[in-house]
Amino acid sequence: MAELVDVALPSTMVTAESEKTGLFAPYEIPPGAFDEWIDASGAPRPAVKKAFETLGAMPPSELAHVQLLAERTLLNQGVTFSVYSDNRGTEKIFPFCVLPRVVSAADWEILDRGLCQRVRALGLFLDDVYGPGRIFREGKMPADLVLASKQRNPLFHGVKPCGGVRIHIAGVDLIRDGDGTFRVLEDNLRTPSGVSYVLENRLISKRVLPRMVEEARIQRVDLYPAKLAETLARVSPVDPEKTTSVVLTPGPYNSAYFEHTFLARTMGIELVVPDDLFVDGDCVYVRTTRGPRRVHVIYRRIDEAFLDPEVFRRDSLLGVRGLFRAYKAGNVTIANALGNGVADDKAVYPFVPEMIRFYLSEEPILAQVPTYVCARESDKKYVLEHLEELVVKAVDEAGGYGMLMGPTSTAEEREEFGRRIAAEPRKYIAQPRIELSTCPTWDDAGRRIVSRRVDLRPYILTGPDGPWVLPGGLTRVALREGSYVVNSSQGGGSKDTWVQKP
Amino acid sequence: MISRVADHCFWLGRYLERAEHTARVLHVTTTLSLDAELSPEQTWAPIVIVFGEREPFYKKHGEGAGGDGEVVQAYMTWDEDNWSSVVRSVAAARENARSIRDVVSLEVWEITNELYLYMTAGEGRQQYNDNRWTFYRTVRKACELCLGFTQSTMLHESPLDFIWLGVELERAGQTARNLDVHHHAFTTLPNKHEVVETALWLSLLRSCSGFEPFMKRHRGAVTGRSVASFLLHEPTFPRSVRHAVEKAYDRLSSIRPPEQLHLPGGRSLERLAMLSAYLVEESPVLLGEDRVHDIVTHVVDETTVVGNELAQDLFGYGR
Repeated sequence: MAELVDVALPSTMVTAESEKTGLFAPYEIPPGAFDEWIDASGAPRPAVKKAFETLGAMPPSELAHVQLLAERTLLNQGVTFSVYSDNRGTEKIFPFCVLPRVVSAADWEILDRGLCQRVRALGLFLDDVYGPGRIFREGKMPADLVLASKQRNPLFHGVKPCGGVRIHIAGVDLIRDGDGTFRVLEDNLRTPSGVSYVLENRLISKRVLPRMVEEARIQRVDLYPAKLAETLARVSPVDPEKTTSVVLTPGPYNSAYFEHTFLARTMGIELVVPDDLFVDGDCVYVRTTRGPRRVHVIYRRIDEAFLDPEVFRRDSLLGVRGLFRAYKAGNVTIANALGNGVADDKAVYPFVPEMIRFYLSEEPILAQVPTYVCARESDKKYVLEHLEELVVKAVDEAGGYGMLMGPTSTAEEREEFGRRIAAEPRKYIAQPRIELSTCPTWDDAGRRIVSRRVDLRPYILTGPDGPWVLPGGLTRVALREGSYVVNSSQGGGSKDTWVQKP
Repeated sequence: MISRVADHCFWLGRYLERAEHTARVLHVTTTLSLDAELSPEQTWAPIVIVFGEREPFYKKHGEGAGGDGEVVQAYMTWDEDNWSSVVRSVAAARENARSIRDVVSLEVWEITNELYLYMTAGEGRQQYNDNRWTFYRTVRKACELCLGFTQSTMLHESPLDFIWLGVELERAGQTARNLDVHHHAFTTLPNKHEVVETALWLSLLRSCSGFEPFMKRHRGAVTGRSVASFLLHEPTFPRSVRHAVEKAYDRLSSIRPPEQLHLPGGRSLERLAMLSAYLVEESPVLLGEDRVHDIVTHVVDETTVVGNELAQDLFGYGR
C-alpha cells in the first residue's frame, strides 16, 4: 500500500516584491500552497520569467481588454457545454482565464515518463483482470476488491480488444502539493473529456497574447486530433487505410456535445448517434443515404451501460443492439475498451504503485495521494477515528458528489458518514486533504491578478506501440477565493497550459 | 452520407426557407394593408390559410380574428404552437444545425445561432414592437445570408445538396400555396375594380419576391392569368414552381445519379422528373383561370409525396 505521508504544511505568507511587479504588486499566496509562477522569495520562477515581465509592464486596462477579447471569442464560436437543468439544453461558456499555467521542460520530462509508465501498468492490469488474474493469485492485491466492483462485468472476461489496446485515451488528474511535487489524484480511463478546451484555449492565447506565446517557447498541442485519428485507425480490425472510424455521441443535449463535434470535425471523421448504427452478422454498419456502410472503429463518448441494450441495460432505449457481439467477435474496435472502469475505481487507485512494480518491475515515477481503503479493516478503523482530518469519497461517484470534507464538516455529517462507512466499507476511501498549487489568475472585479488553486489533466493516447502524452493539458482553476473545487459545474474555469520546449 | 445527417440538412434548408417566406409574406402584407382598398379580413385572413393554419388559428383566436392584422402577425411570428411561425421555424432550423455542427460550416452555424438568439433573447421582440418593417427585414436578411453562406463556405457535395433540396421543395410548395389562396380570393372578389385588382396581383408578386422579375418579363396589363403563369412556369424565376422543381431534381440527381439504379431514392427522382415535365406541358398560353387550382393542388400533393419518400428511402425513417 501507499505510505502515509504527513501533509501538515508550514503557514507562511509570501508576497511578490520584485521591482517590476506592476499588476502583481499585492500578490498573495495562501499559506502552505506552492505557486506555479512565484517562488517562496517572491521572485518569478525561471520558466515564467519572460511572461512575468511582459505582464508586469501591462496596465490593468490592457489585461482586462485581453480577457474580454478572449471571452467574446469563446461566446461567438459557441464553445460551450450544456447544462441539464432544463429540457431545452441551455448552453454555457466554460470560464477561461488568459493567464497561462506554465510547466517547465524539466517538470514535464518527469510527468511525461511517469504518465506513460502509469498508463502502461494500468493497461496490463486490465489485461490481467480480464485474463489470468496473476496479480491476485500472487497476493499483490486483494481479488475481492475488484470482484466487488460495480464496474466489473463477467461478460468481459476473456474478451481481447483489437490491436491489444484498452486505454486508447486516458486523462490523468494531477495536483501539486505544498512542496511542488506532482501527485496523481485520479485516473480517467473510460471517456475522459476536456481535450477540446486544451486546443481552443491555445487558439485564444495565440490570438490575444501573441507576443507572450512567441517568447515562451512552448510545445504545440494542435496535433492531437491527427494523433488520435491515427491511434484509432491503427487498432482497426482491418487495414488502417481502409478503416472507417466514427465518433459516437449521445446527442446534442449531452453536456460535452461541443467536444464531440469538435473531435469529429478536427479528425475529419463522422459524428454518429446510436440510432445511426446497426449490427448485422456481427458487423457494425452506419445507415447512409447510399445504404449501409461498414464501421470499423468507434470512438465512443457514451457510458458503456448505454452502449448495447442486448447485454447491458435491457430497459435502455439507447444504444446499438448487438454491438457487444460485434466487439467480442473482433469485428469492431471500441475506444476506450469496455470494462476499463475497474482500473479507475477509487478503491483500486491505492494499488497502482504496486501494479507498476508488479507488471513493469519499475519504481513508480509519479507520487499519488495517500489513501485509506475502508474495505481493509485497519484502514476503516483509522478513518472512522480520524474523520475530522480526512476527505472521504464514495468510490463510484464523481464530480465532487458523495464526498465528506472532514476539516469543514459538521459533527452531524461526520456521524452520518461514519454510519455509511460502517455499513458498506467497500464503497468508501479516505485521503488527507492535500494543498493544491496556485496560479496567477485575472480577477475582473478587482482588476488585479490574484492567486487561485489549479489542477492539471494531461491526455495520454495509446496505440499498438505504446503511450504518447500530449504536451499540454487542461488546467482547471477554482475561480472563487479560497476554493479547492475546480469542477466546471461548481465555479471552476480553465487556463491554457504551456509546456516549455526542452 | 449518414441518413440522419441528410435528414437534418434537408430540414435545415426547409426551415430557413420557411422562416424567410413567412417573414416576407407578413412584410409585404403590412404594406398592402396600407392601401386601404381591401377590408382587413381580405388582407390578413388569406395568410393564415396559405400556411394551412385556418383551423387552429380560428379556434384559438375566434371568428373575427382573421381581420385583425396584429393578431395574425403575432400568431404567424411568435406563436410557439404554430409550426409555421417565424420563431418556431428559426428554432427548428437552429436545432437542426446544432445537430450537425460537424457538417455545416462555422459561418452557417453562427448566423443561424445569432438569428435564434435575436428571436428568443429579447432583441427581436423589441424590434417587432418598435419597428415592424426592420424586424421582418432583419429576419429575411439573416435567412438569406445563411443560405448564401451554405453556397460559399461548404463543400459542394451531398450535405449542401440536401440543404438545397429542402429549400427548393419548400419553395415550390410555398409559391404554389400562396398562388392558390390569393388567386382564389382575388378572382372571386365582389365589385372588382381594375386598379385594385392590379395592386393585388402586384402584391402577390412581391410576396414571392417576384415583382421586378415579373416586370422584366411582362410588359402590358397585369392580369391574374399573367401573374399565375409567371409564378407557375417562368423557367428563369428562382421562386417559380417550375424552377424550384427543376432545381430540386438537379440536387437529387447529384445525390442519387439517375443511372445508379441500385441506390435508394430512385422513385423520388422519377416523381420530380414527371412533375417537372407536367409543368412544362401545362402551357401558359392555355392556362385558364379555372386550371390554376388543379395544377397547384397537383404540385402540392406531389411534393408532399416526394418528402415522404425521401424520409423513407434516404433519411432512414423506413427501417
